[in-house]
Amino acid sequence: MQLAVELEELGTQIIEASSFLEHAEKELSLRIIGQRDVIRRVFIAMLVNGHILLEGVPGLAKTLIVSTFAAAMNLKFQRIQFTPDMLPADLVGTMIYNPKDLEFYPRKGPVFANVILADEINRSPAKVQSALLEAMQERQVTIGSQTFPLQEPFIVLATQNPIEHEGTYLLPEAQVDRFMMKVIVDYPSYDEELEIMLRSATNASKVPVKPVVQSDDIFRARALIDRIYVDPRVQRYIVDLVVATRKPAQFGMAELETMIEYGASPRASIFLLLAAKAHAFLQHRPYITPEDVKAIVYDTLRHRIRPGYEAEADNMKPSDIIRLILQHVQVP
Amino acid sequence: MSLLTACSAAAGKTEQPAITVMVIPDNVLVGDRIRCIISISHSENEFAALEWRDGIDTFSSRSFELISSKHLSSTLLPGSSQDKFELELAVFGAGHQPLPPVTVVLRDSKGRVTKKVVYSPPVSVFVRALTDSSMRDLTPLKPPLKPQIPFLLIMPVILGAFGVAVVVLLLLFLLKRIVRRSAEKVDSSQVAQRKLRKLGSSLSAGMPPHECYEELSNIMRSFLENHYRIRALEAVTQEIERDLKKLGIAGFENIMNLLKQADLVKFADSRPDVEESRQSLHKASEVIRSTRHSRPPEE
Repeated sequence: MQLAVELEELGTQIIEASSFLEHAEKELSLRIIGQRDVIRRVFIAMLVNGHILLEGVPGLAKTLIVSTFAAAMNLKFQRIQFTPDMLPADLVGTMIYNPKDLEFYPRKGPVFANVILADEINRSPAKVQSALLEAMQERQVTIGSQTFPLQEPFIVLATQNPIEHEGTYLLPEAQVDRFMMKVIVDYPSYDEELEIMLRSATNASKVPVKPVVQSDDIFRARALIDRIYVDPRVQRYIVDLVVATRKPAQFGMAELETMIEYGASPRASIFLLLAAKAHAFLQHRPYITPEDVKAIVYDTLRHRIRPGYEAEADNMKPSDIIRLILQHVQVP
Repeated sequence: MSLLTACSAAAGKTEQPAITVMVIPDNVLVGDRIRCIISISHSENEFAALEWRDGIDTFSSRSFELISSKHLSSTLLPGSSQDKFELELAVFGAGHQPLPPVTVVLRDSKGRVTKKVVYSPPVSVFVRALTDSSMRDLTPLKPPLKPQIPFLLIMPVILGAFGVAVVVLLLLFLLKRIVRRSAEKVDSSQVAQRKLRKLGSSLSAGMPPHECYEELSNIMRSFLENHYRIRALEAVTQEIERDLKKLGIAGFENIMNLLKQADLVKFADSRPDVEESRQSLHKASEVIRSTRHSRPPEE
């Protein structure tokens, strides 16, 4: 059985256009052992203009992943360590007075880069978080009376530590919702850890990472992703999954009604579709299947579902709720 | 029961009647009743009867109360005749109570009294009192008995009933499970085949081939879910492939080919022709037939 001619052509183009990701992945693997899922999530975010919140305990190479990714992609990288005394101007920039010509000039902050690592984003107060999240949403920054568009591609990779809460400012739900995905960075496997240890426990300099990608490659991939075919059945499946987080009883999960305080927003449906498209692109496929949706649904929905009191009492995490939803919503 | 007999002192003389008394029983409680059988042997020309003046007053003591009396039989013997009487007496008093005297009256054929003998039977009845007559003081009331023994008696009954209930429930559960399993074993492939035939008819009647593939995918998934007890309706093709591989189902490649073809139609806007659809239906029917006898996984 053959695909439609347009899809056949698109498939061929996708195979060609996605080859840069394979080179990038190969380059990343020179420095990073394991964490393949995290790397692929970062690719997905980059391909559909999304941002990622990385959550994991310290020492899991979150910063290394992001910096290596930026280097391999030939993108400008900025690491911003969020601290409690930080001000929005430290992030976006400020107006500087020049006594020579008696003028104020804008001085751009670290947010003017392609890849931003917002390290420990929850260590800064809400006004700093808001400044960054505004840049993420609007893709532009206003300093004084001047508005500056941010350079494309622009991707923010924020990190937060799940085990340390003292002196932190929890990200409000409305702001967390702006992140396309929340990726849990887990410990490496035994063999991976052995390799990490042997490779890192040396005084020799780190393996250099070659830039293997041009910005044009990314833009071309984005254009192809927009053309990926999404059948109405899959569209409805995505909406079913998101609506099931709000009205589980409609999908035969009345017991979940009290477990969920509030469900995912419509932004979840948008990001779920975008991420599924990017996932299909990574699989060199010109159309989306429910497999693509299921592959990224945990990362896309987990920070958009707030478990209720009963769920917390039962030690039920958002991932458990998503798993139950996947078990009850029929696949097309 | 004991038998006491007594004969009159004049039993040997011809003109005196011979009297025998039997009391049943001879050991009773106050208020009980006794039967007293009196046999009177006399000459054949006479008739015997018992008499007592003013009923109970005839008795010398108040230890007995006459309840009833009846003439049992009259037997003719060679040269003599015997009459039997039965008295029912209620017994009162306590200790050894001698039977009261009775008057035996003999009459000739014309009804004239020929003899009248007052006879005191030499037998007595031992009457036991209901209370100890030697008791002089009232004994204090005993406290009521606590129901310890009944509880111990009830416990085995409760445990037995509980055990029976558990066994019955277990049997019902097992029965239901067996029935369900056998129904699933029998039905899943038959149902799938029936649906495929129906789908083939719809295709011949003009059903669009892409709709046929969607229905084919649903039929296969339902079959896999019921036959192999895997979650197929809520699973994507990759998950089904993984589950079937894990179960080691023979010929699962054919199943996956069908599901992947259906996926292409459903999700990739692929447009098969009628002949392709018919071939796929035929393949699906063969796959179901070949897997029909494969053993579903144990739970």
